[in-house]
Amino acid sequence: MSDTSHGTGGLKFDAKKRAWPNELNIFFALILIVVIFEILGQTLPYMNDQSFLFDTRDRFDSIFNEARLRIIILQVSIIGIIALGVTQVIISGGIDLSSGPLVGATAMIVMSFAQTELVNGNPNPKAVFGDWAFDLPVLLPIIVGLAFGAFIGGINGALIAFTRIPPFIATLGMFLICRGIAQAWTRGKPVSFPTESYAALGKGMMPVFWFLLLAVVCHVVLKYTLYGKHTYAIGSNEDAARMSGINVKRHKIRVYMIASMLAAFAAIILSSKNLTAQSGMGIFYELYAIAMAVIGGVSLTGGRGSIIGTVLGAMVFGVIQSGFTYIKLDAFYQLMAMGAIIIAAVVLDKVRQDRGSSRS
Amino acid sequence: MKKILMTAGVSALLATSAMADTIGVSVARFDDNGLTIMRNGMTDYAAANDGVELQVEDAQDDVARQLDQINNFIASGVDAIIVNAVDTNATEAMSNAASAAGVPLVYVNRQPVNMATLPEGQAFVASNEVESGTLAAFHMCQELRAAGKSGGAKAYMLMGQLSNQAAVQRSKDFHDVIGMDMCNFIELIDEQTAEWSRDKAQDLMTNWISSGEPFDAVFGNNDEMAIGAIQAMKAAGISMDDVVVGGVDATPDALVSMQAGEMDVTVFQDLAGQGAGSIVTAMKLAAGEDVDKTVFIPFKLVTPENVADFLN
Repeated sequence: MSDTSHGTGGLKFDAKKRAWPNELNIFFALILIVVIFEILGQTLPYMNDQSFLFDTRDRFDSIFNEARLRIIILQVSIIGIIALGVTQVIISGGIDLSSGPLVGATAMIVMSFAQTELVNGNPNPKAVFGDWAFDLPVLLPIIVGLAFGAFIGGINGALIAFTRIPPFIATLGMFLICRGIAQAWTRGKPVSFPTESYAALGKGMMPVFWFLLLAVVCHVVLKYTLYGKHTYAIGSNEDAARMSGINVKRHKIRVYMIASMLAAFAAIILSSKNLTAQSGMGIFYELYAIAMAVIGGVSLTGGRGSIIGTVLGAMVFGVIQSGFTYIKLDAFYQLMAMGAIIIAAVVLDKVRQDRGSSRS
Repeated sequence: MKKILMTAGVSALLATSAMADTIGVSVARFDDNGLTIMRNGMTDYAAANDGVELQVEDAQDDVARQLDQINNFIASGVDAIIVNAVDTNATEAMSNAASAAGVPLVYVNRQPVNMATLPEGQAFVASNEVESGTLAAFHMCQELRAAGKSGGAKAYMLMGQLSNQAAVQRSKDFHDVIGMDMCNFIELIDEQTAEWSRDKAQDLMTNWISSGEPFDAVFGNNDEMAIGAIQAMKAAGISMDDVVVGGVDATPDALVSMQAGEMDVTVFQDLAGQGAGSIVTAMKLAAGEDVDKTVFIPFKLVTPENVADFLN
């Protein structure tokens, strides 16, 4: 009706709008959540002089509460590593439900090759294999873990590429298989007491280091390599990708292998951080990893999303978790609040997208 | 050839089960550490005794699946059933099914809600859950007093899954102990769930530490969470001599931690003993003997002084 719509049916290229990346919105949402916790902390009567993000007790050199900053990212780093792989799977138009149980299975297997012989001078009470498996070089468990991840991911990918069953079903089957492997490996008994070099992999802030390092690698790979371009192409329009000469089957197998290797690596870091492997490890990790990616703007219909978004999505999780403890939210309500926040985040993103696409 | 082998295998199975008591066992979860020790206590006992054959099933934390398993046991004519209940509120239906079929039923480790009205031929084998948290919490209180902190001490509590009876009970025990005159100098700063998990406890403890509030004691509803808290405190540079840390279960990992001077107290629940005890009770019931409605396997307090007795 107005003048601007004349001749173009309302379609108008707006450079400003195009240049506004989705990641910035998530970043602002992150800041908003921090501010909400900060305000809650100042207003709730039982909080006395504490601040969520700032150092109000002169414990650190900087103005920030450094311990808080560290835990916010530390507690999401391991699931974050899984989310990096899940992001690629979702961008390629798939889904991976097997990552959580894969973490459990990989942790059990890997830890069996990372045990130390003597614990405080006593023989290891949790030995899985015989003497030969004690005090092996740290590279061996890592290789075993990554190989196992590649194997499981390869099966996932091959099933999806060749039998054309939906990724949801293929990886759901693998979900059960991996949980079964985790339990069968030692018949449910935990495996503990790794070598010092293995324990160093996930010590202190190491999980954060691995997460950020792998995030940078994945970001570069997705954005600047042919692998990344093909991943987006397949997720946007599989037929078009095939017709333009991309070997879609081979590529899908690669994507699932990479995702499972990342999950396996997360299992290595998790078991190292905790100095133990348990068959129940990784419960709900697949869902949290998917949620991180989705909050970060990765579209479940494929073809859209980024590693930066997923990293920010992980940070949102970290802030919320830390914030709940900070305001001492009753444990009974935390899950509900978490679920509501996930839904709200995705609804907001959807609204914003719909508005964006109807305007542009 | 294959067929002959299979027939031979099946008849061999039938032959062995005909000689011994067959007991069907439904365990709430196969991937739970404590329940695994209990389950191994059962299988070890069965392996050492010719008179019993076990059929152990995983209820996968699913109430409906567990009831199906029990009905399947009844249908296949077992001599007795042992149930480690997924949900202690759902035991009424199990008791009814077993009693209607005339099959003896033993609950193990988790107390059924219909304890007062258990039908004939049914029993409950466990440790008295009230003991565990109370023993640990009271010892922590004594340790804090011995450390000269009776003028005021602050504590955090890591709780298990909030839907779990043991978590609720142990948390209540801790509250009861710090409500006693002798221990009311302990103030609880915060209590949160870490869902029995070492990893979650580590993150939760680090979150607490990041608030900068000084504290003197940490009580975990189980050892795994206490160990997670210890790892977080060590990472933050807190001396383990300054904090009293207590847990429940006396897992091998906890005993090693205690030996290293980190964990201060835990409670040994004789889970393997419960497992074996449940089979003994089930066999007695199957033989028509009289059995007490409740068979208690006692808890034991584990401290650095006697930790060596439990490490073997």
